[in-house]
Amino acid sequence: MRGPDLRRLYDEHAQPLYAFLLNLTRDEADTRDLLQDVFVKLARDPDLLTGVRDEHAFLFRLAHNAAIDLIRRRGTRDKTRDRFVAEIISPFAPTSDPDEQTFRAALAGALAELPPEQRAVVHLKLWERLTFEQIAGALDIPLNTAASRYRYGLDKLRERLRPIYEEL
Amino acid sequence: MKPEDFEQKLQRQPLRQVPAEWREEILREGRRAAVPEIRDADTASLPKWSWLSTLNPQLSTLLWPHPAAWAGLAAIWILILAVDFSVRDKSLVMVEKSAPPSPEVIVELKQQQRMLAELIGPRDEHDADRSKSFVPQPRSERVEILAA
Repeated sequence: MRGPDLRRLYDEHAQPLYAFLLNLTRDEADTRDLLQDVFVKLARDPDLLTGVRDEHAFLFRLAHNAAIDLIRRRGTRDKTRDRFVAEIISPFAPTSDPDEQTFRAALAGALAELPPEQRAVVHLKLWERLTFEQIAGALDIPLNTAASRYRYGLDKLRERLRPIYEEL
Repeated sequence: MKPEDFEQKLQRQPLRQVPAEWREEILREGRRAAVPEIRDADTASLPKWSWLSTLNPQLSTLLWPHPAAWAGLAAIWILILAVDFSVRDKSLVMVEKSAPPSPEVIVELKQQQRMLAELIGPRDEHDADRSKSFVPQPRSERVEILAA
């Protein structure tokens, strides 16, 4: 798998992988490195996708593993930096509507407070519209775990965003 | 707030777009990784690293996740070594103190040894007596011996 295939993979998957990685890392430079790592891995090993049924879910798996490795390496070192960055780097597109902007900023903050494993499931379910079965496959977790992480994550988001949501 | 409404509201939030300039950069890196000659040429042009400089990032990757735990472990080792050294010093002092006996003590010890030897008697005779095997005698002879 060379040149054109890599281009196709990039054009089809880079955008969702970018948003997913940005939501997990909250750092654009880290997201750039991880996205590059995923495509370099694909380029180095042309057989990596051989026999893969769900290419989309498989690429999320690669990206998720790379992101979790990075988060573990960071450890406690960057906890304060994470909080600071979370206020600036949002996984959502900017908007000129002040109400929407407030909601997106609050949502980005609430997502940042979720544990990475819940955040990953919530992201894949809400913004990638993956089924729990696909999510379980992508993150290498049991189906029930995927469903419960989504439920807990969504409950936390609802509690956190209730005042703003009801106001809007 | 209905749960479905809330989920739909979240789903409607558009995600940030991947920067366009990344595409060519990442694909170039991908092509570079796919062609071994380019990869090898790139690595050959890089300055050679010493084994220490390659070990350093590996060590930091290994140790970084729990720096407090490693620091605690190091502190415990330092404490153990400190206790070990202090105990070792004391025992050396004790050995040094008891090591050289005075000539008077040596003379006294020799005298005591000599007296002990005299009290016990010659060792060879004692051993010879002990080594004689006991042979039982008939009862009549034993009575004679007693009467004598």
